[in-house]
Amino acid sequence: MTNFNWLLDGSIVGLYLLVTMVAGLMVRKYVGKVEHFLVAGREMDVYLGIASLAATEFGIVTCMYTAQNGYEKGFAGATPGILMAVAMAGVGLTGFVIKPLRDSGVITIPELLEQKFGKRIRWAAGVMIVLGGLLNMGVFLRTGGQFLVLVAGLNVRYLEIMMTALLVGVAVYTILGGMLSVLVTDFLQFVVMSVGLILVTILILMNVGWEKLVTTVETQYGAGGFNPFVNPTMGWQYVLFNLMLNTAAVLTWQTIIARVLAAKDTQTGRRVYTGTAFFFVCRFLIPGIWGIAALATLGPVANTLEAMPTYLSTAVPAGLMGILVAAMLAADMSTDSSYMLTWCSVIYNDILAPFRKRPWSERKGLFWNRTIIALIGIFLLLYGLWYPLKGDLWTYLGVTGTIYLASISVLLIACCYWRKANSWGAGAAILVSAIIPVTYLVMEQLPSTGALAKSIGPYYSGIATYILSGAAMVIGSLLKPQSHVEGRTA
Amino acid sequence: MTIACVVWYSTITVYVAIKGAKDIKNMLARLDATRKKEAEEQ
Repeated sequence: MTNFNWLLDGSIVGLYLLVTMVAGLMVRKYVGKVEHFLVAGREMDVYLGIASLAATEFGIVTCMYTAQNGYEKGFAGATPGILMAVAMAGVGLTGFVIKPLRDSGVITIPELLEQKFGKRIRWAAGVMIVLGGLLNMGVFLRTGGQFLVLVAGLNVRYLEIMMTALLVGVAVYTILGGMLSVLVTDFLQFVVMSVGLILVTILILMNVGWEKLVTTVETQYGAGGFNPFVNPTMGWQYVLFNLMLNTAAVLTWQTIIARVLAAKDTQTGRRVYTGTAFFFVCRFLIPGIWGIAALATLGPVANTLEAMPTYLSTAVPAGLMGILVAAMLAADMSTDSSYMLTWCSVIYNDILAPFRKRPWSERKGLFWNRTIIALIGIFLLLYGLWYPLKGDLWTYLGVTGTIYLASISVLLIACCYWRKANSWGAGAAILVSAIIPVTYLVMEQLPSTGALAKSIGPYYSGIATYILSGAAMVIGSLLKPQSHVEGRTA
Repeated sequence: MTIACVVWYSTITVYVAIKGAKDIKNMLARLDATRKKEAEEQ
């Protein structure tokens, strides 16, 4: 049972989709070169960058798992968002890594890594990034569809068809307009998404009440609902792991870094980071409030991931429901378009680099970029939507994310700031970053090692990955004979 | 912090929306100027 009214709410959603598609298609005439397609000709300014970054990094999946964090951990569930804001503000203020990265004029991170570590490491890094990114993204469509089914009461039989139509629409303007379409539609989606988030939050605060939210958290979780260090499911290891994870994401998650690389200059890129930092607190806290409201209203439920959409389906009235659904579609579409373009840029710029013996013409480059995005779209449909994913979703996201983040962050920091870093260290770091998380995943699944894996837990495993990856970089680099000459940092 | 978050987010949404719209206009104008200049040179 839901308050979604097909006439009123359906019209609001339809209008939003129409405006977005028109805007996305209108800017395609400005795309004449690969540089326009991938990094908007490096003409992006501060506020457009902030809107685009905030919209890209907030999708339906984010809304669901951050709400789940609020449901399961109370206000302490906002810890990852606070840590990400701190990391992003710190990086923006100091220019750590992002200054040399933007100054170098590269389009992707592996392109910079080649200057220090050589072509093979560039290619390997490109593969790691794309595999981690695509596997991570593979689950977005189905999870987003599940949210819409619960909130809007859509018939689950039509879930695949509806999400396919949505992805095709996004793919069309992304293929035609590249980063320019992504930026313009991200901006519109930022506005719609923000309006929806704010209105629903105000509704919840009025209906449920701030006191009841706080009392619910106190009753259910005690001090642990406010302090992550005393929460039995979190602790210092959770905080440290998330600090490492979010710092690595700020430095190396290509979809975030793409905004720095598209900025008109380094100073603008840094200002985008400092200007967007606090959004990441809101990214966790606002849906977190929705999750706490679900706990206060529904009480304990079997599936905590579905608690928030189930609650909203009857709490949000018609009219506002249309804005909420449009807001969530906006969140999802901005994420899908940015992510598709980002992984395309790494495939084209880095993985296909060995095949470009001579520079390709702009026409050929644009053709291949557009083809790659279409192929990514097909992969997402087949892998993420029509082929049901088995197993634990968050373990899956954690493993795919850590493989990427641990290795690439170590490589990037060493590339920018350690003269002795070389290809042996880079190769060792990549190997270690893949072996530890995958080993943990396998141990979790095997009956003979399951208990051991559980006692170690994902946070210690994750912390170990970052530390040992760094150690591998240092040891591998020092072991390389001095006779092999390496390139300089950018 | 929660209330501060909601108030801040509401305010910044309006501010970024207005400034972002100007950024889009300026970005497209610069791209247009570059495109015309390159067409003339060719």
